[in-house]
Amino acid sequence: MRHAWLVARKDLYLEFRSRTAITSALVFTALVLVVFEYGRDPTAVPTIALAPSILWVTFSFAGMLTLNRAFNAELENQALEGLLLAPISRTSLFWGKLVANLAFVAVVQVTGLLLFILFFDVPVWRVWAPLLTVMILATVGFIAVGTLFSAMVVRTRFAELMLPVLLLPFLLPPLIAAAEVTTMLLGGRPLSEVSGWLRLLAAYDVAFVTLATLLFPATVTE
Amino acid sequence: MTPDQMPQTGGYMAAAYIAAAVLLVAYTIILWRRGAAKAKR
Amino acid sequence: MTLVQRGRWVTVVSLLLLGGIYVRALVYTPTEIHQGLAQKIYYVHVPSAWSAMLAMGLMGVASILFLFLKDPRYDRFAAASAEVGTAFSLVMLTTGPLWAKPIWGTWWTWDARLTLTLMMFFMFVGYLVLRGAVSEPGLRARYSAVLGICGLVLLPFIHLSVYLFRTLHPAPIVLKPSAPSAPPAMVITLLSSFAVFTLLYIGFVMQRYAIGERSDDA
Repeated sequence: MRHAWLVARKDLYLEFRSRTAITSALVFTALVLVVFEYGRDPTAVPTIALAPSILWVTFSFAGMLTLNRAFNAELENQALEGLLLAPISRTSLFWGKLVANLAFVAVVQVTGLLLFILFFDVPVWRVWAPLLTVMILATVGFIAVGTLFSAMVVRTRFAELMLPVLLLPFLLPPLIAAAEVTTMLLGGRPLSEVSGWLRLLAAYDVAFVTLATLLFPATVTE
Repeated sequence: MTPDQMPQTGGYMAAAYIAAAVLLVAYTIILWRRGAAKAKR
Repeated sequence: MTLVQRGRWVTVVSLLLLGGIYVRALVYTPTEIHQGLAQKIYYVHVPSAWSAMLAMGLMGVASILFLFLKDPRYDRFAAASAEVGTAFSLVMLTTGPLWAKPIWGTWWTWDARLTLTLMMFFMFVGYLVLRGAVSEPGLRARYSAVLGICGLVLLPFIHLSVYLFRTLHPAPIVLKPSAPSAPPAMVITLLSSFAVFTLLYIGFVMQRYAIGERSDDA
């Protein structure tokens, strides 16, 4: 596990050095929020009706940008080849990448959420804990699958196009659940109604993090 | 509901049946030709 | 007889039987009164969905077997099943909206079954695209197997999430297309159609597998 942490730190360190990816991600997030704000008729549609969609479009873009960034870094530096030569297990390698991706997307998502609260007058504070929970649960699921697929598409033709194409069906359950839970939370629904969805998300995460961990070695075996 | 009140949806049925047949026969032909092409080598 | 030839025989026989199903469905099966003739699309749409799901399930199983046993024949079978599944998915996605429009008034709706079928189609396409993008056979086989297994595990989650969504937001559908209390004639037509579509799946896969074998370009 220590190896995983080292891999993660390496990725994140590289990221902070260049800061390009995180800057573009944050700018993009802000843009999405601005477009949604000005694209709606305030008299016709209350923000709270749009809020879940706005939030989750923003968060999914954050996720896709993260995966893209990680994958571009691989391409440029051929870092993967180097890492495979190092005496660390494939599992540690995967977990290192996963943790780095999650850290990155967390920063972008939290910033996005704060910007959202700033721009839109939606009472998020009352439900911050379940909201944070659903953000984590939904994101972990699809970042796990995305990290696995990134490792595969790096060595294919049209790699940048492939990742979203392959990932699309896998985004569906987390996003449906997340959007639904967010709607319920902002609408003041009792937590008991939300629990079914959270369990689905948790099951999804367990299934796919496990699967991705088990399958990752198959994608990098020589 | 009586038979004369039944909705007239025959057009959709025809379209669907034809589309399905066309797709399946087309795929059959595609596979057939690919099978033949391989055999010639 | 070679595998290709046997596959062709099976396919041709199945297509002839399909013609028989068509006749039976159109002429000898009573018409459902609330939906009119469009209801008969059911006899083609549902079995094609079944074949697509069969294709996906077997593709997933073959992928698992390939990763464990490393036998390229499983990979070849998975590739064959994926392509055949795509064909059946297309039939399903064409006949589905043609049925939905007269019955539900809309070509498409994001209910559990339709969303699942669309995602299955995307998965098949993704699988084939992935195979097309990797030239080295060993790598291609491994990558495909990974995708195939992930896809298989995903299906129940998609179904559950959309189903859960829909039970909270019931779509304004008055008619249930899968009429529960169907007269025996309809049931027999449907079941026969299932059998024919399964046979057609087998015929297609035999041919496609044989093609993959010869070129090893699966």
